[in-house]
Amino acid sequence: MSTEYIILIAGFVFGFYMAWNIGANDVANSMASSVGAKAITVRQAVVIASILNLVGAAFIGSHVTDTIRKGIVSNEILNDPHIAFVGALAALLSAALWVSFATWKSMPISTTHSIVGAMIGFGIIAGGFKAIQWGKLTSVILSWIISPALSIILSFIMFSIIKRLIISRNDSFDRALKLSPFFVGISIFIVVLSFLFKTPLGNTLSIGTPMAVLIAIIIAALIGYIAKFFLKRVKRNISGDNGEGIFRYIQVGTACYVALAQGANDVANAIAPLAVIYFFVQTGTVGDQVPVPFFLLLFGGVGIALGIMMAGRRVMETLGTKITHLSNSRGFCVEFAAATTVLIASKLGLPVSTTHAAVGGVLGVGMARGMEALNLRLVYEIIFYWLLTLPAAAFTCMAIYKILQFILQRM
Amino acid sequence: MRIPFLSLFMSSPFDGLQEHAEKVKECAWAFQQAVECHVEENCKSFEDLRQEVIRLEREADTIKRRIRGHLPKGTMMPVDKFQLFMYLREQDAVLDAVEDVLDWISYRVEPGIPAELSKDFFLLVDATIDPIEELSKMVAEARKYFDSFSDKQREVVKEIIRTLRRQEHEADKIEHMLKQKIFNMEMDPVTVFHMIRLTEIIGSVADHAENAGDMMRAMIAK
Repeated sequence: MSTEYIILIAGFVFGFYMAWNIGANDVANSMASSVGAKAITVRQAVVIASILNLVGAAFIGSHVTDTIRKGIVSNEILNDPHIAFVGALAALLSAALWVSFATWKSMPISTTHSIVGAMIGFGIIAGGFKAIQWGKLTSVILSWIISPALSIILSFIMFSIIKRLIISRNDSFDRALKLSPFFVGISIFIVVLSFLFKTPLGNTLSIGTPMAVLIAIIIAALIGYIAKFFLKRVKRNISGDNGEGIFRYIQVGTACYVALAQGANDVANAIAPLAVIYFFVQTGTVGDQVPVPFFLLLFGGVGIALGIMMAGRRVMETLGTKITHLSNSRGFCVEFAAATTVLIASKLGLPVSTTHAAVGGVLGVGMARGMEALNLRLVYEIIFYWLLTLPAAAFTCMAIYKILQFILQRM
Repeated sequence: MRIPFLSLFMSSPFDGLQEHAEKVKECAWAFQQAVECHVEENCKSFEDLRQEVIRLEREADTIKRRIRGHLPKGTMMPVDKFQLFMYLREQDAVLDAVEDVLDWISYRVEPGIPAELSKDFFLLVDATIDPIEELSKMVAEARKYFDSFSDKQREVVKEIIRTLRRQEHEADKIEHMLKQKIFNMEMDPVTVFHMIRLTEIIGSVADHAENAGDMMRAMIAK
């Protein structure tokens, strides 16, 4: 068997390992609010998260792939297929190792940042500092600040709206019901748009932007009103008719929304480097842009889903018992903001962290005085590990790159 | 297992506040029994009741320290941290005042309270028990307000605060009346001093409850 195939197999193994880790590591962020607010059970969370991560990965994922690969490391290095090839493998392995280590040590890190860090490490070792497109990197780093900020703003606005229009009113149950098409519809709108833009499916349909927006609005309105029809059957709870009962059901929907967005966003972290290797083995070259075949996305999705199923359960059981005092309306705001941020950012090609989007969502509600107590030390911790992740993944990648090169020369 | 996302959520200080208020409420009963026992002839159980109050005060102190100790820098809450501490201080001061009353009595158990004043002392104690019991209700309702932010709920809290003010005013009136009576009695000066001071400390229980109400008013300000 030729070296290429061995590397390809190794790529698949490492890619799967990375995807598994993503599933195990990130699921807490997406399902925490739903499980914590008792909208869904742990079992339901596992099922929803694994299925919809898979769907999101396979059908919405793909666009971030080329941005991460192409944006940071300059093309000259990548033009040498052999370097690109070994680099991709090293990046994949080092990011996966770093994520595993972080999961083991319970560090709040981002899988997205790990892969970016690993790519930087590869760029430096293969082509020196000049190989890194620092300008591009600045925009990547900027996006890490922008995405939590966007999440904070979205959840702040959403909670303020809910506070003003629903929960502070006397007839909050009726008002929640009346406004439910809006809450459901706005999520559906973004999901439909994500499907239509820059996915294989959307490209086949080749719909123009105005048309896509129109379609999304129609579908969103339709599903919104269907949801309202079903929500009408929700029994008012006896302890006073606040709108939480309605949000409890809407939250099942947002849990799906988050899982979908997460799958779409995170699959690239595991699959992008694998796609480079795969493309090289197939064609013997590495183009500027590597297409990601559907089956690779599916493969990544399965890896994430398995990670969720095998490790996610324990994580979510902890969540359910630890997060108390999270009402359904607040949980809805957190999830809505996180998922919307992740979907929008990943559609724009920004490498966004689902962890940070989820934390941003919680902070936004907190800023609108919606949380009884939040520990902001985590924010400092996140910033610290955020600064640590890049060099850690980069150095690991450098070492692994050298080792791989050494091994391959002997073969 | 420690999940990063989870460490964002911490135990709510309102839990502690509620627990503390419950302790204050528990104390009210023992306090009332103890003072009534002292006013009546042949009091046997005073010391037991006093020990009970001391025990509750100590437990409440533990809760207070726990709340203060677990609100590190950078805690995000719907209320200002210092407002919360001020509130807690006043709520705790209610308990301290209750303990002070019983301590003060214990320094000079004999000759007790003259029969013609016993009714007034009962009245004064009753007037301070009401505000003490109101506190735990106030915390519970305020918590509901921070959950829903509804104006209706805010009005419920404000009404309790008004009640506290009214009750304090009532207690004040009784205190004045009682002091006047004490000074106009023919007694030895030490007894007069003891009873005047006793009246004042009992009155201060209601004062602290009212202060707690005022702090709560600041906390629920829009």
